[in-house]
Amino acid sequence: MSESIFHGVRMVGVAAAVPDHLRTLADDAKMFGDEEVFKISESTGVKQRYTSSTLCTSDLCYAAATKLLSETGYAPETIDALIFISQGPDYILPATSCILQERLGLSQNCAAFDINLGCSGYVYGLWMVSSLIASGAVKRALLLVGDTSRHCSPEDRSVSLLFGDAGAATLLEKSDDDLPLNFVVGTDGSGANHLIIEAGHCRMPLKPENQIRVECEGGNKRSKADLYMNGAEIFAFTLRVVPPLIKKVLAGANQSIETVDAFVFHQANKFMLEHLGKRMKLPPEKLILALENVGNTSSASIPMAMVTHLRNRLQKESLNLVLAGFGVGFSWAGANMHCGPMVIPELIKVPVPSIPE
Amino acid sequence: MNKQEFFAQLEEFMELDEGRLTGVEALDDLPWDSLAVVSFIAMADEHLELAVKPASLAEAKSVADLLALVADKLDN
Repeated sequence: MSESIFHGVRMVGVAAAVPDHLRTLADDAKMFGDEEVFKISESTGVKQRYTSSTLCTSDLCYAAATKLLSETGYAPETIDALIFISQGPDYILPATSCILQERLGLSQNCAAFDINLGCSGYVYGLWMVSSLIASGAVKRALLLVGDTSRHCSPEDRSVSLLFGDAGAATLLEKSDDDLPLNFVVGTDGSGANHLIIEAGHCRMPLKPENQIRVECEGGNKRSKADLYMNGAEIFAFTLRVVPPLIKKVLAGANQSIETVDAFVFHQANKFMLEHLGKRMKLPPEKLILALENVGNTSSASIPMAMVTHLRNRLQKESLNLVLAGFGVGFSWAGANMHCGPMVIPELIKVPVPSIPE
Repeated sequence: MNKQEFFAQLEEFMELDEGRLTGVEALDDLPWDSLAVVSFIAMADEHLELAVKPASLAEAKSVADLLALVADKLDN
C-alpha cells in the first residue's frame, strides 16, 4: 500500500444530493415478499433509498456543487480543477467533467477530468486533489463523486435492495495551516470479476442476447449488462484489507483510535461495517453507520455520511476523521485528516424529471 | 470453540432449532443462502481467526464439508 502526506489543504465544504423519489421496503416486498425483504434489510441496514431512472450522477453532482458554491459564496470562476469520479458517466465520451465545467459555469482555465472508481473513489479523489493543491498546480478544486443504481437488476436481491442514487460535491482549497493529510492507497485487480458489469463497453459490447436476464444463484435474475456482486468475495476482501489499512493510516499519522473523533467508512452494508468495527475494536459511537435512509451510495457514501450524520458537528468544530473507501476493483484508500468547521448544506433532493415522450 | 459450539453457531445464523445439526445434513436442505455464507465467514474470522475462502464455501455440499473447512482450528 502506498503512503503519502500532504500539507496546506483545507476542506471548505461538502454537499450531497439524491433524487426526490423514495423507494421503501414496502415497494421491494412486492417483488421479493415481506419476509425476505425484512431479513435482507436487517443485515444490510438499509430501510429505504432514493432512486431515479432519469437523473444521471452528473445531475445529482451538479445540484450538490451549485448549492455548495452558493453557500460558500465562492464564484465558479475561482475553481481551478474539477474531478468527476463515477462509474456512471453521461456518455462513453466526452468526459462528464467537461460537460459539468460548462454547466457549472467554471472558467475555461479549469482543469477537468474523470476517474472511474466506485467504493474507494471519494478517498482516492481527496488524495488526488490534495496532491494537486499541495504541489501548487491548483489552488481550489471541486471533487464530484457518485453513482446511480440503475444497473441493478430489479430481480436480483443481492444488489437491488442495497444501492441508492447519490451525488456529492466537496470543495477543497490551499490553506496556510499546516495540518497534515495522510493517505494510504492500494489495488488488487485479481478481484475485478467479483463486482462487475460485464456488457456494454469494449470488452463485451452490448447485444440483445447479453441483455436477457437469466436465473443465477439463489433464484436471482440478471443479465450480463446488469451489475453482478459476489458478496462473499467482497466481504472476504474487506476483512483482509481494511483492518491493516486503518492500522497503517493511524500509524502513518501518529494517531490512535482514542485520538480520532469518527471513523467514516464507505457505507457498504451494516453487517460488514459492524463486523469491521468489532474486529478493529472501534468504539461503536465513533463508527458512523449511515445507510438506513439512503442505502449504499458507492463513492458518495462517505460525503453522504458526513452530511447526514456529522453535519451539526462539522459546521461548528474541527473533527479528526479517519476515512476509508474499499470495494470495486478491488481498490481501496484510507485517509486521516482534520475537517471543519466547514459549510455543509442539508441533504439536497432533486426533482425527478419525467421521461420525455 | 469445539464442534458442538460450531454447530450451535451454524444453527444460530441459519435460524435452526438448537441441536438440530449433526453434521450429515446437505446444505441444499438448509437455509444456506448468501447471508448465511457471509455469516460463516464472519464467524470464522471472529472466533477462529481463520480467513475462509469464499470459493471453498461455494464448493461445500454438506455441514460435514463446512466442518472440514474449520476443523484444524476447533478445540477437541
